[in-house]
Amino acid sequence: MAGAATWTTSLHAQKLAMPVIGYLCAESPELFASRLKAFHQGLGEAGFVEGRNVAIHYQWAEGQYARLPALAANLVARNVDVVVAPGGAPVALAAKAAAANNAIVFEMGGDPVQLGVVDSLPRPGGNITGVSSLSVDVSPKRLELMHELLPTAAKLAVVANPTSPTANSQLQKLRSAAETLGVHLQVLNASAEKEFEPIFSTIAQEAGGLVFTSDPYFAFRSRQLAELAMKYRVPAITQSRDFPTAGGLMSYGGDFAQSHRRAGMYVGRILKGEKPSDLPVQLVTKVEFIINMRAAKLLGREFSPSLVSGADEVIE
Amino acid sequence: MIVRERFRGLFQKYLLVLFMAVAIPLAINGIVEAWFGYRDQRARLDQLLGVQAASAAAEIHDFIYGITNQLGWLVQVPWSDEPDERRRTEALRLFRQAPAIVSLALLDNRGLERLYVSRIGLNRIESRTDRSADPAVIGARSAQVWFSDVSYHRGSEPHLTVAVVGNRPSVGVVIAEVNLKLIWDVISAIKVGKTGFAFVLDRPGRLIAHPDISLVLRGAEEATSKPFRTIRDAIGPAGAGFATSRDVHGHEVAAVAAPVAGPDWTVVVEQPLAEAYAPIYAVLWRTVALLAAGTMFAALLAYALAHRMTEPIRVLEEGTERIGAGSFDHRISIETGDEFQRLANSFNNMAAELALAQEHQERIAKLKRFLAPQVADLVDRAGDDSVLDGRHAEVVVIFCDLRGFTAFSAALAPEEVMSVLSEYYEVLGRAITQFAATLISFSGDGLMVLVNAPVPVEEPALRAVDLAVEMQKSVQGLIAGWRSRGYQVGFGIGLASGAATVGRIGYADRFDYTAIGNVVNLAARLCASAADREILIDAEVAECVRGKRSLVELGDRQIKGFDEAIPVFGISFDTP
Repeated sequence: MAGAATWTTSLHAQKLAMPVIGYLCAESPELFASRLKAFHQGLGEAGFVEGRNVAIHYQWAEGQYARLPALAANLVARNVDVVVAPGGAPVALAAKAAAANNAIVFEMGGDPVQLGVVDSLPRPGGNITGVSSLSVDVSPKRLELMHELLPTAAKLAVVANPTSPTANSQLQKLRSAAETLGVHLQVLNASAEKEFEPIFSTIAQEAGGLVFTSDPYFAFRSRQLAELAMKYRVPAITQSRDFPTAGGLMSYGGDFAQSHRRAGMYVGRILKGEKPSDLPVQLVTKVEFIINMRAAKLLGREFSPSLVSGADEVIE
Repeated sequence: MIVRERFRGLFQKYLLVLFMAVAIPLAINGIVEAWFGYRDQRARLDQLLGVQAASAAAEIHDFIYGITNQLGWLVQVPWSDEPDERRRTEALRLFRQAPAIVSLALLDNRGLERLYVSRIGLNRIESRTDRSADPAVIGARSAQVWFSDVSYHRGSEPHLTVAVVGNRPSVGVVIAEVNLKLIWDVISAIKVGKTGFAFVLDRPGRLIAHPDISLVLRGAEEATSKPFRTIRDAIGPAGAGFATSRDVHGHEVAAVAAPVAGPDWTVVVEQPLAEAYAPIYAVLWRTVALLAAGTMFAALLAYALAHRMTEPIRVLEEGTERIGAGSFDHRISIETGDEFQRLANSFNNMAAELALAQEHQERIAKLKRFLAPQVADLVDRAGDDSVLDGRHAEVVVIFCDLRGFTAFSAALAPEEVMSVLSEYYEVLGRAITQFAATLISFSGDGLMVLVNAPVPVEEPALRAVDLAVEMQKSVQGLIAGWRSRGYQVGFGIGLASGAATVGRIGYADRFDYTAIGNVVNLAARLCASAADREILIDAEVAECVRGKRSLVELGDRQIKGFDEAIPVFGISFDTP
């Protein structure tokens, strides 16, 4: 009788002891659906399924990045087993600032060493590790691609988010690339949706190309940007494949499906008992170049054969 | 008690011998089988891991040479001095096909960089930088395909530089940087057994491919690569068979290495020893189980056989002990159908004969009390004592007693009386035995003897007379001695012949042989009337011995109990 009671209690305890993941996200579930799917896929590969052997507690900032520290503090207060900080450096930094003891797995496009999130790639140190998608590193590449599409343009515009922790380093690299390419660089700032339209209308008048820096805020508003680009007939390039898929011209950046999936796998490994400090930061190997031929036609532009042959995906 | 005895002696010996006879060949067979099984399994494991290693090495080789083959397509056409847009298209197409290539540099025949494309950095077209002194260029020019040492990008991702030259100098050189992290797709697909896997080390022994990507990303660290290098070093030169070593977690593993030519790497496949040896353990366990079962069977068999062999002996032993102790009716029961049964039957027969013999002896002992030993033997030889049954017979009855013995005994001490009687019966007994007469009874100093019954003899009267003479002579010898000591005693004998009823009388174990009839009374009366030194016989006896022995006619005498006086005769004899 006593044994049966103990058994029931331990079973109950086991159920209570189901690990909890705290998912900190800067955006809304709708915008993040495809990333979340990749994350669940990675988690599943590590043997965890939400609701079955792991619980996930979500915190959505709905695009208000300023709310991230408070949301991160919520998760820490709930004493979750792992904090997942996907979708960019601000999230990772907010999580790192809030969590003293919780394990953190980030997913970002920037260089986590340069941002001070980790000590080094092979030895992240502390209680944090994650995946970087290289999107930030390839900002100059976007400028190069835009230059190739508009070889005669003497001036190209770059859109940066001044609130992004990676903005300065990206702009520095872009300026140096512009020098190499021999183009003049016009830097425009946008940190809110309302600032998008004025940018497109300005560039439309100057008949130039628009290069977006790597920034989650831009990436998650690809549909909006694509609509504006087509409305003002401005050739533009962003980091996310969502942009050409939604009707934009082209994108160049790390494969987010891969990075979110790997983050999910890392979370699984940590839940199984590995220490974040023993898991090196992974760089996503795949950088994808997507072009939309239909958008090019609407804009009256043509991709060179080398651009087409170099594209990982061509939307006809 | 019986159990303790059983585990001594023969049972123990038989048990041991029989057990050994079965268990030793069984054990030898088991050990031999296990040894060969072990060797076969080891050889199979050797072969299996060897094949796995070779196949893994081939896959890694394919990965690398797949890339160099594709690079080879970029060095097919001679360079002109004009920029070549077509080559850029081809290079970008190659990016798509070979995701592991991070960057490509195309050099012309003078070693000038004509095109550089990168996934991350900016492309360079016609930079015309002189790279002819680049080790990649020099290496590729001498060996067609050149591989650099592995470098770890930002201390984490392993990269390899590959340079390929075309089949003529004018086509130039292509130099590609390859991210080796992508070997993961290949290496993680290689499964060795259930949990075994493969990993790749470069020439200095740094980890460049492993199913756990997090280890590869730290491959540049000594602490990460050392355990893997230890395994590689334990294997030694390829082809030496599998080696056992310990993995990162200290578990024992079986590992085989195979080289990857070109970049000079080593592919090692490892399998946990417990898993690799599982079939060997299975064989060993099977053997142990069979041995245990066989030994148990041998023990049971030996016990049963030893029991079967010693049990008859025990029964024999017990039986003979009981027979020896006198239980002649005991029979040893052994139904083994072999020598033991025959032996038991012999014992049983012996016991039966012993019982018979004892019965004879008892009977003879009984008979000897009242029969002459010769007669007793005769009865015994006859096999039955029907001769003692009651019947009518012509017998001669002899009575004798001492004269004046009652007065004599009253005056003496009992010891002396008994001593005198002993001497007296000693001599009488000897005479009775000598003449094969039958002692019927004695009381005090008187004695009754029968002749011609129960066993008939020839001339009974004559024999009886001779016996009487002998008795007189012997006793008179004694009397002479007694008289010299002052005792006044005499000895008289009476004989009569006639029909009497003879037979056995008595009850239970107490039997006597006796005669009943007038002749007995007559003999007793004659004895009573006989004086010392006298032997009185009746007419019938006298008639029989007349002419043969010297008779003295004593005339008719009035005998008590007889109405008329009857003729009485005496036998004269010489006094010694």
